Amino acid sequence: MSVTGLKRIGSAKELAEWRERLNAKAPSAGVSGKRQILVCFGGSCLASGAKEVRDALQVALDLEKLGDRVALVETGCMGPCVMGPVVMIAEDRTFYQGVKPEDASDIIRQHICGGKRVERLLACDAAGKTPAPCRQEMEFFKRQTQVVLRNCGWIDPGKIGETVARDGYAALAKALSGMKPEDVVKEMEISGLRGRGGAGFPTWLKWNFARSSESPDGVRYVLCNADEGDPGAYMDRSVLEGDPHSVIEGMAIAAYAIGARQGYVYVRAEYPLAVERLTEAISQARACGLLGENILGTSFCFDLEIRMGSGAFVCGEETALIASIEGKRGEPRPRPPFPAHKGLWGRPTVLNNVETYANVAAIILKGGAWYAEMGTAKSKGTKVFALAGAVRNTGLVEIPIGTPLGEVVYDIGGGIRNNRSFKAAQIGGPSGGCIPRQHVNVPLDYEPLAELGAIMGSGGLIVMDEDTCMVDVARFFLEFVQEESCGKCVPCRVGTRRMLEILERICNGEGEEGDIERLEELGNFIKQSSLCGLGQTAPNPVLSTIRHFREEYEEHIRDRHCRAGVCAGLVRAPCLSACPAGVDVPGFVALVGDKRYAEALRLHRERNPFASVCARVCFHTCEDKCRRASLDEPVAIRGIKRFMVDQEVMVQVPEGRENADNAKRKVAVIGAGPAGLSCAYFLARMGYVPIVIEAEPRPGGMLVQAIPAYRLPREELAREVRMIEHLGVTIDTGRALGRDFSLADLREDGYEAVFLGVGAPLGVGLKVPGAHARGVTEAMSFLRQYNIRGSVPVGKRVAVIGGGNAAIDAARTAIRLGAQSVTVIYRRTREEMPAYAEEIEEALQEGVVVRTLVNPEEFVVEDGAVSGIRLRAMKLGEFDRSGRRRPEAGDGEGEILPADQVILAIGQALDNKALSGEIEVELDEKGWVKADRRTGATALPWLFSGGDAATGPSSVVEAIAAGERAAVAIDEMFTGAEHAFWRGYRDCGVGFDPYADPVNYAREKLHTMPLEKRRQNFAEVEQSWNEATAVRQARRCLRCDYGKQPCGC
Amino acid sequence: MLNVTINKQTIQVPEGTMILQAANKVGVTIPTLCHLENREPIGACRVCLVEVEGARTLVASCSTPVTEGMVVHTNSTLARNARRQVLELLLSEHDGNCQTCDRSGDCELRALAEEMGVTFLPYEGVKAKKKVDESTPALVRDNGKCVKCRRCVTVCNEIQGVGALFPQGRGFQTVIGPAFTRELDGVACVQCGQCAAICPVGAIVEKSCIPEVWKALENPGLHVIVQTAPAIRAALGECFGYEPGTRVTGKMAAALRRLGFDAVFDTNFAADLTIMEEGTELLTRLKKALVDKEEVALPMFTSCSPGWISFAEFYFPQFLPNISTCKSPQQMFGAVAKSYYASKIGKKPEELVVVSVMPCTAKKFEAQRPEMNSSGMRDVDYVLTTRELAKMVKEAGIDFKSLPDEDMDAPLGLSSGAADIFANTGGVMEAALRTAYEIVTGKALPVDNLHVKAVAGLDGVKEAALTIKGAKKEWSFLEGVELKVAVAHGLGNARRVLEHIKANGPVYHFVEIMTCPGGCVGGGGQPRFTDDSVRLKRIAAIYSEDEGKKMRKSHENPDIQTLYAEYLGKPLGAKSHHLLHTHYKAKEV
Repeated sequence: MSVTGLKRIGSAKELAEWRERLNAKAPSAGVSGKRQILVCFGGSCLASGAKEVRDALQVALDLEKLGDRVALVETGCMGPCVMGPVVMIAEDRTFYQGVKPEDASDIIRQHICGGKRVERLLACDAAGKTPAPCRQEMEFFKRQTQVVLRNCGWIDPGKIGETVARDGYAALAKALSGMKPEDVVKEMEISGLRGRGGAGFPTWLKWNFARSSESPDGVRYVLCNADEGDPGAYMDRSVLEGDPHSVIEGMAIAAYAIGARQGYVYVRAEYPLAVERLTEAISQARACGLLGENILGTSFCFDLEIRMGSGAFVCGEETALIASIEGKRGEPRPRPPFPAHKGLWGRPTVLNNVETYANVAAIILKGGAWYAEMGTAKSKGTKVFALAGAVRNTGLVEIPIGTPLGEVVYDIGGGIRNNRSFKAAQIGGPSGGCIPRQHVNVPLDYEPLAELGAIMGSGGLIVMDEDTCMVDVARFFLEFVQEESCGKCVPCRVGTRRMLEILERICNGEGEEGDIERLEELGNFIKQSSLCGLGQTAPNPVLSTIRHFREEYEEHIRDRHCRAGVCAGLVRAPCLSACPAGVDVPGFVALVGDKRYAEALRLHRERNPFASVCARVCFHTCEDKCRRASLDEPVAIRGIKRFMVDQEVMVQVPEGRENADNAKRKVAVIGAGPAGLSCAYFLARMGYVPIVIEAEPRPGGMLVQAIPAYRLPREELAREVRMIEHLGVTIDTGRALGRDFSLADLREDGYEAVFLGVGAPLGVGLKVPGAHARGVTEAMSFLRQYNIRGSVPVGKRVAVIGGGNAAIDAARTAIRLGAQSVTVIYRRTREEMPAYAEEIEEALQEGVVVRTLVNPEEFVVEDGAVSGIRLRAMKLGEFDRSGRRRPEAGDGEGEILPADQVILAIGQALDNKALSGEIEVELDEKGWVKADRRTGATALPWLFSGGDAATGPSSVVEAIAAGERAAVAIDEMFTGAEHAFWRGYRDCGVGFDPYADPVNYAREKLHTMPLEKRRQNFAEVEQSWNEATAVRQARRCLRCDYGKQPCGC
Repeated sequence: MLNVTINKQTIQVPEGTMILQAANKVGVTIPTLCHLENREPIGACRVCLVEVEGARTLVASCSTPVTEGMVVHTNSTLARNARRQVLELLLSEHDGNCQTCDRSGDCELRALAEEMGVTFLPYEGVKAKKKVDESTPALVRDNGKCVKCRRCVTVCNEIQGVGALFPQGRGFQTVIGPAFTRELDGVACVQCGQCAAICPVGAIVEKSCIPEVWKALENPGLHVIVQTAPAIRAALGECFGYEPGTRVTGKMAAALRRLGFDAVFDTNFAADLTIMEEGTELLTRLKKALVDKEEVALPMFTSCSPGWISFAEFYFPQFLPNISTCKSPQQMFGAVAKSYYASKIGKKPEELVVVSVMPCTAKKFEAQRPEMNSSGMRDVDYVLTTRELAKMVKEAGIDFKSLPDEDMDAPLGLSSGAADIFANTGGVMEAALRTAYEIVTGKALPVDNLHVKAVAGLDGVKEAALTIKGAKKEWSFLEGVELKVAVAHGLGNARRVLEHIKANGPVYHFVEIMTCPGGCVGGGGQPRFTDDSVRLKRIAAIYSEDEGKKMRKSHENPDIQTLYAEYLGKPLGAKSHHLLHTHYKAKEV
């Protein structure tokens, strides 16, 4: 539609009458008087085919001869961009997502004609739970409050009548017919609106300055900043595309308030659709007399022009924007003078951004007090965010200021995609910063965000999961600002470049000690000394990631390790990088694919002696990072490993290097768990002859004491322990630290180095009434007793409290020992259970019941024995520091769960009685042995520690890695040099054709023993593949390591 | 008045004073690399950062106005560190090879680094991309040394109104230079060299012809003569530690002789000649207009300043007919030297080498213009700037300060006071009026001490009117005519005058235009650093040189009279027409 047919509106009354006529049609019908199907024509939906969907819907309507009764309305952005193209049926607000042209006839026939919703197209958000029948029931919309977006998605932006029908220009009419300019400013003051461009300057104050500043010829200007340029942000664009009149009206009201006759909208040329729709809207407003001379019959005159910029980020800076409108190079000048005093062509100028103006009409129409009801004490109203990144529901969301970040991420955003965990949110774009998981409760408001080193900014909100490297994120944003710097002032032009160079070095594995401090110093200097806001905020992404993720920087620099597997210079392959022990995953997988099993195993054991153990119990982060997942599913690395270890007939003893000097050193390892045995293994390979002292009668630590045999057959463990013994390691069992010997004894016996790998063997109790009743036990001693002694009392109705692996192990053991029922009780939800998902799955198959969102309040005791548990229903409250919602007691009476045995699996602890003695071992604030993460070194120069004792309960492979690091550190203490010959890169020697297409075999699971066979015994549940399957699976590897030079990973 | 406390000293300053100026008043010098007097602050270099209590960040003192009660610390650790860090960053991108840099001795960046105690560079990285532009005869630009302070951009665009230099590109890739990263000869650059005069580092310098001059001096087969422009004597001393405004005419002549020039002459001689020709031309034009009622271009513009000629050729070709056809004194000298003087000493023109010492870089360009070969070959062979001459003197090991005062040689060395004042804005006008008025009336110019006060000083555009009384018979048509004149210096001001004439017709009879602010005393080849206080001192020196002479009018110069008698005949005669006049054509890039 163009301006034809539009008539000049002579007064506020005529405008009101027009509105009345427009709305006189049936309630659900649009201004056309027809039933309406709204098709989102926002940028994202257009890109995913909204035009084709609209055409198909038209064809379907015509087929049904409904063309004159049903109208298709092309609207601006509706919000949930990830679901596009989206279509909404106006009368019942049914929201269809991912609509394809072929769905059109179903929508028309079944819904429009038949009145029945098309179920398969209904929007499913929030982790794909039950579909929401209509817009207002979608989680995505439930918590939003749409002021700025009030018309976006509801109207055809190309038809001014649709705007007018929804109160468009009513605020302008109200201002012109009843308010003095100072009244308008007053109303803005009451509203508390702050500039939405990012800095949050009170809008009324800016208007007041411009109003009262002297102009040489009385000329004043109103400018709109539509130069949105943050990566990932498109709020302003969507408003311009979806509701351009709200901006025109807001600017006209501002012009009236400050006494301007002319306005300019500065919009980037990369927004052609926004320019097109705004141009159209301006000409329609002019035709209606809502712009131009004597608006609505008053003496107020105001006109608007568009000025296009060519997309320089710095032109978002007000003085640069003004320079650009004036035809000069878009770069900032020093302030003062501020634009409100001397702006465009030296005249007083108000410059606000699109979103700010889009609020104005609503404020004037409904009153500042109405607006001020939303938001926080200091910041009123709502804010639009472009929610992007790793959340399920991305799109445009508008929320009251002060809404906690977690609500946006988890409720509106539906949580993190692919069951990853939330790591950080980047807020405010290149000027902003990262908010880490522990601050997920931060209210989205100017000051609280600034306190955490981020900024509100214009509203870009990028959610990141664990696959994001924070150093890389900092590098990305810095690269952006560094390129977008106007180059005028030295700190920004040269300083950001130097910062980028440092970051690039770090990401390439060439970081140096002191780089972090250099970045901080430069960053703070640039913030302090740059000419404009771009430079003053440019270091924020770096400084905020250093502040919240310093350890990742340290890992990059010291360990040459990128935990997210992102930084190309540090990551030979993401799987390899993800493995705590640094096993050459692509190497052994390729060797298996080449049927060279012995070589594969040897390569594995270069870094990890427990290949067989890990083939069964490793939590395989390697698979989580596998790039094949972006193609179909990850390579089944653990399954391949399982097949590989099963091919070993005689245990292979890996390379050891004899060294007479080392052999003379006396080294003791306390604890024969995975950490201690690994430490001994690597020491032995360097020529040491360590002794391992173990408290229990059998070596293996948790591997033997806690992990049940159906997961890890005892012979498998024993074989690898024997291999370690073959290297010259002595294992002395049945001698406990604190009971049979002390650290001081070892020193007296001449031990020059001691590795403390005593694990976290003690279970943690629960402080509820009845906790000491008979039948209440804890998982560690329950499992240990069965696994070491061969029998343990088990009840008929067993309740296991906790959600970790120990809880599941105890539950599955109890089932096998004949319990009639086993119930696992967990206070959060299934998604938050720390136990491995596949373990939970198998437990459920075996008949274990998992009850979530319940918490034991009391153990019911009869005759001194437990008879049941009073359970309190829980609900999830605010987010805690782990980024998970904190469980809170729900309402209602507690129910009683009958139980004659309760197994507590809520935590483990160090046996610190054993550690106190003549020589005191220093513990950290959490009660674990205080040891350097990289070397295991403690405060005592001869004492090293690692594994669960130093970190708290963690995975087997983490313990193995800690043992290796400590072995290297012990040797370094003796020799002053590093001799970890196994760490070097070696070519696996398997060819690879990078031009060949990836093989298209699907991922396969390991087979499991049939249920009926496994419930009664402790035989291994998982069964290995045959050779053909294993080789096929191995060949699925994409060989990310191909062509990568050694880099220290 | 506002109260401000700077380093614990409280003073009152008027509203609008920047912290930088306020600090100067309490004896605190805040360093800067981009600041330019009388211009809107640029704020690019950030070397002038200071700490202001209560401010969110450090502030640039050049661009932050004082507010009531402001408390400033220029010497806090924070401020000093920030300034040092700025320098460290600048040096880290600077392709500065100080040992061989032309600016080694007076580089502002190097001096500041020393003052701020920069002893090593903590942040090393890529350097600014080096691109050396030697496309013009006058200037050499080296982007690798550029610190992007934008002084040159400001001078070129705002003061000169030429617009040959701009910032281009973004971020670290930002370069300063001609549009579309062309070379200087690809844009409308007038080669005035104001950029070179103001550049804090060695990014823009004059193109040196010192080696060529040495070579000529050492060639026994050549007769090498030198001319020195009027502005040199008031500025050259600064290169040897003299205060600005010290006249060193005699020492200069002595130094030139020690350097080995066969004859030491004076451009001032040619300036007197110019007045004879130009004054006559003006009177002739007036006669044509008033008596013969011919179409004649008025007002007439002076033509001494080659930057201005280029400016008119590029931007105002419609005014080319208004420009006096006289060559500049430099070129008149060259033409006379290679014809009249050569024959006088019995040499062929090709045996003669004419070297000029000029305060100007555009003179290098002018000397190689195709129009400037009336002697049948290039009239002026080499042009040295004041700075280059000083370098040669130093290179030759001449102790300038201990030289005796010597005189210029004859016959091209004698000049009037009128010629001296060619060096400053308003000077050509005053010199012309002294002679023209006397030609017309036979009486001396009826102003105090022969000075036309209205056209002197540093105002950008100056106007004066002079009513002619008692005209001689042959000039009776001028009786009672109010002669209206205007003087502009700095091409930005010239542009204003031209636009005014364009809009209002011939409102003046005669207009003097000098390319550089202050005239030649502020030329692009003069010792650095030239600001208004230095310009005023040099101007004062020039006036005192003029006043110290007995002969203060060009037409009184006996050697000029001899030249006409022996060789040229009369002003605007056939020989002068051939040797001393020329025409210009519109130029496009």
